[in-house]
Amino acid sequence: MTRLSKVEVDRKWWEIGDFFRRNSLWLLMYCTGCCAIELPPAMTSAYDMERLGMGPMATPRQADILLVSGYLSLKTLRRLIYSYEQMSEPKYVVALGSCPINGGIYHDSHAVINQLDQYIPVDVYVAGCMPNTESVMNGFVDLMEQIRNKTAVGWKKYHERFEWYKANQINSLGEIDVHDEFHE
Amino acid sequence: MTNSMNNVEFVKNLVQAEITPLGVETVDRYQVAFVVAPGDVHHLLLKLRNAGWIQLSYLSAVDWLEENKFEVVYIVFNWDLPVYIQVRAKIDRDHPVIDSVLPIYPGAKYYERECHEFFGVCFPGNPDYEKQLILEGWDDIPPLRKDFDPQAYSDRKFPQRVYTADFSVTDEQNTKLTKRQLRKQRAASLRGGVQK
Repeated sequence: MTRLSKVEVDRKWWEIGDFFRRNSLWLLMYCTGCCAIELPPAMTSAYDMERLGMGPMATPRQADILLVSGYLSLKTLRRLIYSYEQMSEPKYVVALGSCPINGGIYHDSHAVINQLDQYIPVDVYVAGCMPNTESVMNGFVDLMEQIRNKTAVGWKKYHERFEWYKANQINSLGEIDVHDEFHE
Repeated sequence: MTNSMNNVEFVKNLVQAEITPLGVETVDRYQVAFVVAPGDVHHLLLKLRNAGWIQLSYLSAVDWLEENKFEVVYIVFNWDLPVYIQVRAKIDRDHPVIDSVLPIYPGAKYYERECHEFFGVCFPGNPDYEKQLILEGWDDIPPLRKDFDPQAYSDRKFPQRVYTADFSVTDEQNTKLTKRQLRKQRAASLRGGVQK
């Protein structure tokens, strides 16, 4: 009997971890826009997210999925980057609606960004304005499939291309630190 | 006063006893607008507040680019008499300055900050009017002015997703569709042979 190498053992452990992880996903719902209205039917008895092992989570540090539902203004993006960097790894990002994809109906707004994946890596996009609840649920199932196939690697990409993401963030935001009068 | 048209007449008499408005417009049964000179705004608002219009519902500006004017609009509300009163005053667009109404309506604090942020109107008398409220680190002319081009700003500031001319969201190999059809056939065959 041959001993497995460390890499192989690690991979096995990751597969076991991923099995449990994908069957128990906790969402951090960052309900920025109108797509958030699709979440109540997805969570409650109509579509019952719990049967997929998913549930809402209160804090970023305990959540697996960052759910961006809708448009992101510059002000929101700052807070979103904070939340994303606070989340423990592995972490996944699901973006609902057409606004994070290409700006949607806010493509010419002075305050709304056009492309979320320039700032943080996105694993699953659910297109539509707004997507119906079936597609939202389908997006979650796709994410589970991606975790099983080891293709949900957005958080690794964020490490690899950290400089690129930071440069984009600074380019659009000017400064990532939050300065507001209620916290100073 | 149960008849609401009488209410509007009552308000018109009340205002005309104080100042001579440049124009009066009855918007509907519950709303009446007065166009006044910028110098009369504070006098009129003080009188209205003392007459019962204790709530400043909104304060904003309208940009009249062709006339080179900003029109500052105050909307006040009375909880006892169902009439909104709009007070409008046109101020110079190049030097948009009008004294704050903070001593009359303390709630104007945030409205004035918002108005300064989006239109660039200055409100001396409000100690905070220049502080940022909604936009963070804004680096251009105020965004709700008519000569501001949001599309150009968005193009300059935010990366755009580029699509090819023949872009399509459908899967070219249609792998999912074929797989789904195969699954359906398989399911049908298991149910008892409606196989095709």
